[in-house]
Amino acid sequence: MQKNALHILLADDDDDDRLFFKDAFEEVKVQTKVEFVFDGLQLMEHLNNPDNKLPDILFLDLNMPKKTGKECLIEIKKTERLKNLIIAIYSTSSSDEDIEDTFIEGANIYIKKPSDFNALKKIINEVVTLNWHYHTSGLNRDNFLLSLK
Amino acid sequence: MKWIPKFNSSNSLRVIFIIAIFILLFLSSIAYKHNRDLNESSKLVIHTYEINVQLERLISAIKDAETGQRGYIITSNPKFLTPYIYSRDKVNRSFITLKKLTSDNPKQKQNLENLFSLIIQEFKTFENCLKYSNPKTYDKRKLDNYLFSGRILMENIRFQVEKMKDIEKKFLEKRLKKYDEEISLGPIFSISLFSTALTFILLAYRQISRDLIRLKIYNKKLLISSGLMSESEKIGQFSTWQWDLNTDKMDYSDNQFRILGFQPNAFVPNKDTFLDFVHPEDKEAIAASMENIINNKELPFSYYKIIKSDNEIRHFKSTGKLLTDQNGNNILLGINFDITDEHLLNIELQERNNELEKSNKELASFNHVASHDLQEPLRKIQTFISRISETDRAAISDNAKEYLLKIETSAKRMRVLIDDLLLFSRTNTTKKEFIKSDLNGLLENAKSELAVIIDEKKGSLKVGKLPKLYVIPYQIEQLFINLIGNSLKYSKPEIAPQIIIHCEKILSNEIPELIDQPFKKFYKITFTDNGMGFDPQFKDNIFVLFQRLHSKTDYPGTGIGLAICKKIVENHKGYIKADSKPSEGSVFTVFLPE
Repeated sequence: MQKNALHILLADDDDDDRLFFKDAFEEVKVQTKVEFVFDGLQLMEHLNNPDNKLPDILFLDLNMPKKTGKECLIEIKKTERLKNLIIAIYSTSSSDEDIEDTFIEGANIYIKKPSDFNALKKIINEVVTLNWHYHTSGLNRDNFLLSLK
Repeated sequence: MKWIPKFNSSNSLRVIFIIAIFILLFLSSIAYKHNRDLNESSKLVIHTYEINVQLERLISAIKDAETGQRGYIITSNPKFLTPYIYSRDKVNRSFITLKKLTSDNPKQKQNLENLFSLIIQEFKTFENCLKYSNPKTYDKRKLDNYLFSGRILMENIRFQVEKMKDIEKKFLEKRLKKYDEEISLGPIFSISLFSTALTFILLAYRQISRDLIRLKIYNKKLLISSGLMSESEKIGQFSTWQWDLNTDKMDYSDNQFRILGFQPNAFVPNKDTFLDFVHPEDKEAIAASMENIINNKELPFSYYKIIKSDNEIRHFKSTGKLLTDQNGNNILLGINFDITDEHLLNIELQERNNELEKSNKELASFNHVASHDLQEPLRKIQTFISRISETDRAAISDNAKEYLLKIETSAKRMRVLIDDLLLFSRTNTTKKEFIKSDLNGLLENAKSELAVIIDEKKGSLKVGKLPKLYVIPYQIEQLFINLIGNSLKYSKPEIAPQIIIHCEKILSNEIPELIDQPFKKFYKITFTDNGMGFDPQFKDNIFVLFQRLHSKTDYPGTGIGLAICKKIVENHKGYIKADSKPSEGSVFTVFLPE
């Protein structure tokens, strides 16, 4: 069972956000294994370490100390081993600039951190059950930002 | 160069003088010819008289000989023969003289020869008469014969002489007549010529005096204008210089000396003098542009510094142009402006501008960062509240429940405030890309955005045809959302809101607020509603950030919506205004340039 579990990695420096994230995943019905890194540097170390299994989905906060999410994104997309990683931007910001930039740099989806725990659960459910192959091939600026109906 | 008078008269003057000189030359040549003719005529007269005299002498000598011969024949006294002997010499002498005198006239020459042969014959007759009157050889019949033939010869000689005299006389008469003709024609001709010459000279004199008067007037004008120019240069802090390329001579205006810190004409400038005053930093550039000026025929505006004689640094702006004067000389005209004051003002302005820009940027980034960073804790507050489950809520007191609800409401309000504030700051800071868009489409988008509220309030929209304009699409959409949203929000209770959107084309000069805009044609879009309206004294206030006319319990809002509208319209170089009377609805009018 554990082997089939979805491997999730969240890079976020905020304790509370990690807590919400963890709790939300526990309530999601899909089998998942959630790991955390606390800043951009740690994230890159983790990903570049061949001993670590690559996550199925990387949730990436943009505003992090030491190395920002955008810098990490650019670095990942430049690295041969990592460039096919599915990356979900997970940020407080919903500025057009951030959305535009991360879309261009090749992120797969943009999630604005919700201010409601139930909304967060819905989002996570949506993301983990998403058909990534289908989503990525039809990706455009309009469906890049995840919005819940 | 308009003020330079054209002295065309100098050419006519030249012509007049040349004509006068020719007339005078002509006159003197005629006078000379007359003189010569007169001389010749008198010579001829003398010549004729001389011939006549000599002919008379000849005749008298022959007569003497005849008389002597007759006396001798009658008296046989040889004393009577003396005049006869002398007469031969006299005849010979006269003949030689006559021969000389008639050498120029072949006809007279011929006559003279005839005369001479007659005279020779006469003398032969005389000899024979003497011979046959001599008592030794006396022969009466022969003597009579010879005397008679001598008589006839004498008649012939006289006739011949008269003939010659006649010819001379006729010749003289002819000469005199011709001379008289010339002499009589001369004076009228000369006098008329002389008066023509005099007229020409008088004309020339008049022209000269006229030119002189004109020259004086122009000179006076020139003096005034050069005085004014010099004064203007002084007042306007500029100066001029002229560089004559043909003579390589440089001329400074008085003020050129002054702005370099000298008295006028303190030194004699040449083309490199000016460079000595140019600040070392600018010297190279100015030297290069001075070189280029000849090729380009003009000097583009150059800005540089100079060092005055008292080491003061002044800022200059210079320009110049190559001019060609009436005589085809190339003259380079240069103008220097002392723009130190403007320059310093400009620097100050630039500094203030920079400060303003900086503070504006700071404000914008503060606004953005503040609202951004404020979101984070707020989101957590809201998330934490949402995590308090129903079971948790059941366990707390009613008071605590009430407080929790109030925390939730406040957090929500803060969320709206922050979102609006973010929107407002984005209206300012985001890229302004103008795209030709159909405003009808943007209005449709706005309507669908507001569909829930329109439905809820049972509102109706009457929309006229809107134009296609170059706009920032999402901003215009936001403008429509805010304006329609505003009308829906402040509708009268119990009355279904109705909004009429109308558009027409107008000219900027019809609206005083648009006159300063660079565009001429505008679209006037009005949003007329049947809502509760407002007191017209607040019609400007409602567009100010955070200004609200109603309490937030009655009408929740942040006071940002209309401020955003104003910002958006200003971004499009347009103008927005509102008109209303309480409880009579309001009209929002947006002007957007074509």
